[in-house]
Amino acid sequence: MKRNLFVLSLLVVLALLVTACGSAATATQAPVASTEAPVAATEAPAAGPVVLKIAYSSTIDTWDPIASFSTEAAYLPNVYETLLKINKPGSAETYTPVLAESWSVSDDYLSYTFNLRSGVNFHDGEPMNAAAVKASIDAVKDHGGAGFIWWSVDNVEVVDDLTVKFNLSTPQPIDLIASSMYAAYIVSPKALEGFAADENFWADGTSYGTGPYMVESYTPDVEVVFTQNTEYWGGWEAGQYEKVVASLVPEATTRQQMLEGGEADLAERLPNENLGAFESDPNYTVMKEPSFFNYMAYFNTLRAPLDDVKVRQALSYAIPYQDIINIGASGLGTQSFGPVPAGVYPWDDSVGQYTYDIEKAKALLTEAGHEGGGFSIRMTYTASNASEEAFAPLIKDSFAQIGVDVTIEALSLGEQLKLGRSGADAQDMTLMLYWPAYADAGADNLWSLFYYTEKPSWNLSYWNSPEYNALWDEASALSGTDFAASKDKYVEAVTLLVEEAPGVFFYDTMAVYVIPNAITGFEYNLNYPFWHFDYYNLRAAK
Amino acid sequence: MRAFEFIFRRILTAIFVLIGVSLITFSISHVVPTDTAALYLGSTRARPADLERIRIKLGLDRPLPVQYAIYMKDLVHGDLGDSIATKRPVLQELTDRLSATLELLFFGMFIATLIGVPLGVLSARWQSTWADVFVRIISIVGVSMPAFYLGLLMQIAFFRNLDLFPLSGRVDSNLRFTNPIDPVTSFFLLDTFLTSNWIALKDVFHHLVLPGFTLAAYPIGLIARMNRAAMLEVLGQDYIRTARAYGIRERVITYLYALKNAISPTLTVIGLTVAYALTGTFFVEVIFNWPGLGLFTVRSLLALDYPAIMGMTLLGASGYVLINLIVDLLQMWVDPRIRLK
Repeated sequence: MKRNLFVLSLLVVLALLVTACGSAATATQAPVASTEAPVAATEAPAAGPVVLKIAYSSTIDTWDPIASFSTEAAYLPNVYETLLKINKPGSAETYTPVLAESWSVSDDYLSYTFNLRSGVNFHDGEPMNAAAVKASIDAVKDHGGAGFIWWSVDNVEVVDDLTVKFNLSTPQPIDLIASSMYAAYIVSPKALEGFAADENFWADGTSYGTGPYMVESYTPDVEVVFTQNTEYWGGWEAGQYEKVVASLVPEATTRQQMLEGGEADLAERLPNENLGAFESDPNYTVMKEPSFFNYMAYFNTLRAPLDDVKVRQALSYAIPYQDIINIGASGLGTQSFGPVPAGVYPWDDSVGQYTYDIEKAKALLTEAGHEGGGFSIRMTYTASNASEEAFAPLIKDSFAQIGVDVTIEALSLGEQLKLGRSGADAQDMTLMLYWPAYADAGADNLWSLFYYTEKPSWNLSYWNSPEYNALWDEASALSGTDFAASKDKYVEAVTLLVEEAPGVFFYDTMAVYVIPNAITGFEYNLNYPFWHFDYYNLRAAK
Repeated sequence: MRAFEFIFRRILTAIFVLIGVSLITFSISHVVPTDTAALYLGSTRARPADLERIRIKLGLDRPLPVQYAIYMKDLVHGDLGDSIATKRPVLQELTDRLSATLELLFFGMFIATLIGVPLGVLSARWQSTWADVFVRIISIVGVSMPAFYLGLLMQIAFFRNLDLFPLSGRVDSNLRFTNPIDPVTSFFLLDTFLTSNWIALKDVFHHLVLPGFTLAAYPIGLIARMNRAAMLEVLGQDYIRTARAYGIRERVITYLYALKNAISPTLTVIGLTVAYALTGTFFVEVIFNWPGLGLFTVRSLLALDYPAIMGMTLLGASGYVLINLIVDLLQMWVDPRIRLK
């Protein structure tokens, strides 16, 4: 007995010692450990299906493809499909037909006709046809999270079983809208009926789409298991994954360890500060790509002295853009050209940028009659946003140099918007992370953020420029008929916007992917910024 | 008889405690600014009309006292409401995850007791020797090391460097395809044992080791120190000296006569630590991605999912009250003097 006790206590001590040594060793050995990162294939079980394991950070706020307007867009496109898919910028063809085989637009640009793929069934066995497309679009227009993207559609008409026509009130690029990552999935009518009867219909994550994978099981906070839809219209070939296990792992360092240790074949969003180790590791490819997201701020132009364009320009010159990118995004970002994220339509670098120039800022303030500053600004940011939290103090420090005092307040996004909508009583400056609902920042960002309306929604600068509104109206109207001309108008509008500075445009974030060489078929598509992994295209390298 | 009266009184007090806890949690979670309707719709960009519809559906348009009254009325009927984020009944969310947390908790406390009690005895019997010093260092380290830090060290040492144990989770994700666990009790150790699923049993055990030890570190230190103090006190008493005078072997004195009397205060500590560990598992669960109540609670807190927060707080408070009651009853059983008072 006595001996046993000793053995036990020794074991404990040993355990603690190994831990201590282990932690000391990692500091020096970390790169060595990661070079021998095992590959999933080596530990694959003798029996069982070919499984792809992914460590995800994206939360699933809803499984409802109609309501979806958040990060579940990382999973849904593997289960649900749209009529068209928009290819990555620079592709020869803009669109890939998915559930539509072909489409055409009428001469007056007021109706789009889609010819649907025949013989496609939903996961529940219902046929995918014109009636199902109509039902899905009607449902999303009625209560979809991003249903507003269909604002120009008067009605959807069933021409015959496999032909569906979108009748518009005003020309809009319906092909672009139909390829949206939100509010454009075609869903089984059975599911729409189910949801109408029970609002919690989607809670368990059942599948009613046409996509290559189906949800086999969903354990909230733990994992989602996807399984092949063996009936998939695109067919299957050897080497594709039979099952995909998506582990929901909120901790970034845990995801990294899972990837390095072989518990995951792929991982989303690794800690930016640890990317160096992967970049020097020949087993991984690190990709840094432009993204959909950008950080900006509104000036409340109802409040003096921000109603003076010179003051707004002065403040725009007093922003340390590069420091903000370094602090807010570990350097993984580029200074914005207006509110359109780099690479997203209608981005253009001819619209201009403000540089960090304290002297110019001081001169402009003097010109505006505020020599040496002498006023104060109330600035709010979203409390849960770590980047904004990190870079907000840089703005305060920098504005202090031109004599402008900043008070910083952290609010929940809801509170921030509520306060922002209170007009002249609102905060002076509101930091915001924004992204368009689909691959058109002209229709979304440029309208949502700066188009003046009587009652504000997201246009919290209260900047009332009839000229900007007119340019936007023209551009929007042209987008349904002449895309190139539309872009020119948008660029004109953004040039005016940047000049008048009703907001500050900090930086566009970068999407960073760490892809093990053991996986092939990964392709980044800027136009689907949340859809990180397209399971159907991924293969295990031979 | 007295025991029944005692239990009855304690349960009555417990009800008042729980009402108090619910009132405080409810008030706090409703005063904190948040947009519950937007969370329900899963998007901050929801349309105003939809937000309004959800506010009415969830009763958020009513005065706070009315909302509380409705909540309590449902609670009495065993309905904790639906989670705002997952839209499933909170009670179901909690019971689904309870077994994972309890399995980890029991495993951790089992380790803690198995190691902590002998360490205390060892330390007391060889007081002021190197063994004693060693045990005291271990217990101080165990008590003062934060769980999240120890957890990370464990992962680095035993997963990354030695590759002995898995990094996170409750079971390997391949297992569901090769040796699926039949959830008879949802305690995986038990389930795999009952169904003779030895491969899965080994895997489940492997996954338990690191989080189990991480969770056990604090109780080990506490139990060892407490037991050491209690043992020292008992070993200094007259009847032990008498026993020694009779020539009874030291080993028998320590384990048969001294430990029995020293165990009572240790039992209290173990009980209280179980209650502590119920919420202490939260850190451990987050680090090891353990699919229990902790992960769920952390997510609910971040999202201000108040029905889930309320449910978890009430569950935690009930657990605390219940465990305290059990400890008191156990003490009555172990120590007749308490029974007589």
